[in-house]
Amino acid sequence: MAEKKQHTVGKTTDFPVGKFKIIDIGGREIGIAQLKNGEFRAVRNVCPHKGAPVCKGPIVGTHLPSAVGELIYGRDGEVLACPWHGFEFDLLTGDELIQSGKPTKLLMFPVAVENDNVVVTL
Amino acid sequence: MDMPEKSVPSSQDTAFKVVDCDVHPYVKDGISSVFPYMPDAWKQRFLRKRATVGAEARSLKYLHPNGQVNREDARPPCGGVSGSDPHFLVQDLLVKNRIEHAVLNCLQTGALCSTLAGTDESIVLCAAFNDYLIDQWLKVDNRLKFAMSVPSQDPQAAAAEIRRIGKHPQIVAISLPLLNILMGNRYWWPIYEAAQEMQLPILVHVTGPDSIFYGPPIAAGGIPDSYVERYVTLNQAGESSVNSLVFSGVFEKFPNLKVIFVEYGFLWLLPLLWRMDRTWRQLRHEVPWVKKSPVEYVHKHIRFSTQPIDEPEDPKDLDKLIDLMGYDQLCFSTDYPHWDNDMPGQSLRGLPKAERQKIFWGNALTTFRMR
Ligand code: FES
Repeated sequence: MAEKKQHTVGKTTDFPVGKFKIIDIGGREIGIAQLKNGEFRAVRNVCPHKGAPVCKGPIVGTHLPSAVGELIYGRDGEVLACPWHGFEFDLLTGDELIQSGKPTKLLMFPVAVENDNVVVTL
Repeated sequence: MDMPEKSVPSSQDTAFKVVDCDVHPYVKDGISSVFPYMPDAWKQRFLRKRATVGAEARSLKYLHPNGQVNREDARPPCGGVSGSDPHFLVQDLLVKNRIEHAVLNCLQTGALCSTLAGTDESIVLCAAFNDYLIDQWLKVDNRLKFAMSVPSQDPQAAAAEIRRIGKHPQIVAISLPLLNILMGNRYWWPIYEAAQEMQLPILVHVTGPDSIFYGPPIAAGGIPDSYVERYVTLNQAGESSVNSLVFSGVFEKFPNLKVIFVEYGFLWLLPLLWRMDRTWRQLRHEVPWVKKSPVEYVHKHIRFSTQPIDEPEDPKDLDKLIDLMGYDQLCFSTDYPHWDNDMPGQSLRGLPKAERQKIFWGNALTTFRMR
């Protein structure tokens, strides 16, 4: 296992809120996005379900579990929907929203802001 | 399941070969793109009607919950809907996944022929779309093969269309837009006769308006209420059709005919065959032209595409069921560029190597007219 390194991937302003920018770090495609709460996320651009470029999916809100016939919208800007089969992932934790059966999980890397620079560790 | 970093067929196995038997080309500007391929009088009619056909034919309640059936991430760089640029498709699907033959099946033509166009309109449009794809797609790359469409509202015209272009070397199947008439019905026989004559298999696939409009097959029991509900029931027409083909004696009448069911699923086949076989043993004399067990007809004449592969919690359960079915029935398919596509590198990885290769390669070669 290679030693982990820090990679400065750009300024905070390079990453608009609510959209992934996909960059190559040492041959690995990583999606970087800024969430509405100001936090950054670095996500491997491979869907844990069947390998889609998951970071090309939209960052959305979703309809939360509700009573029959009722719609409750929530989690706006916190959910990544895979562009293929549509699995929804919680961008706060990386977890798949549906937790029954054998849920999958996004592979996320630590990301920090240092002097306005976005720094990913992988 | 966690995905390997790169998705290539069967990891690094360069000897592994792939035929993709379900790829959807989209004619970019729909009907207006095919004007050069039809008589002027018909062009004038469609112009005056302001006729269009989009990528999808469905009413509001069946719109895809994420906005479209086609993958957003597969849009060609030059713009347009996913699947509308043959050059990009070759790179994005064939080269990336090392696919050697891809069978194109145009659902715009399918939807027009099954439902959206009138009978005469569908005959003209079907020929125009076929000619457009031959001209603008097949010439791009020899790996692109074609399931030509037929105007199924008029079986005689459909048979004529098969005889008109069916000898093209890249045409490998006939895409038959189903109506709400079971496949064993004699309505279809002129088409089967022409298909057998041309040594082309019949390929069936939902055309889009299924269970939505009157015309194409409708799911059993009533009309579903959402995209999800409808999607889950789309296999039903496949089950009814397998049953109908066998008991109506189609394969006795057309002993060289082959049929491939694409995107209807396949795990239902095993219990269906058990039930068909038992019932035949009990009541064979009602259909005395059925001389062999239904199981034998299906194994000899019918194939199923793999996508969308069902996903039991333990993937080994799927492998076991396929082992019970046998490995001769399945042909790998992606369904690119649709949202529910399966790519070769992630599909059926638990099967034994030789059997997996049959499903991804050998079975397609003996099903489609590949020379
Ligand atoms: S590959 Fe992402 S949901 Fe299937």
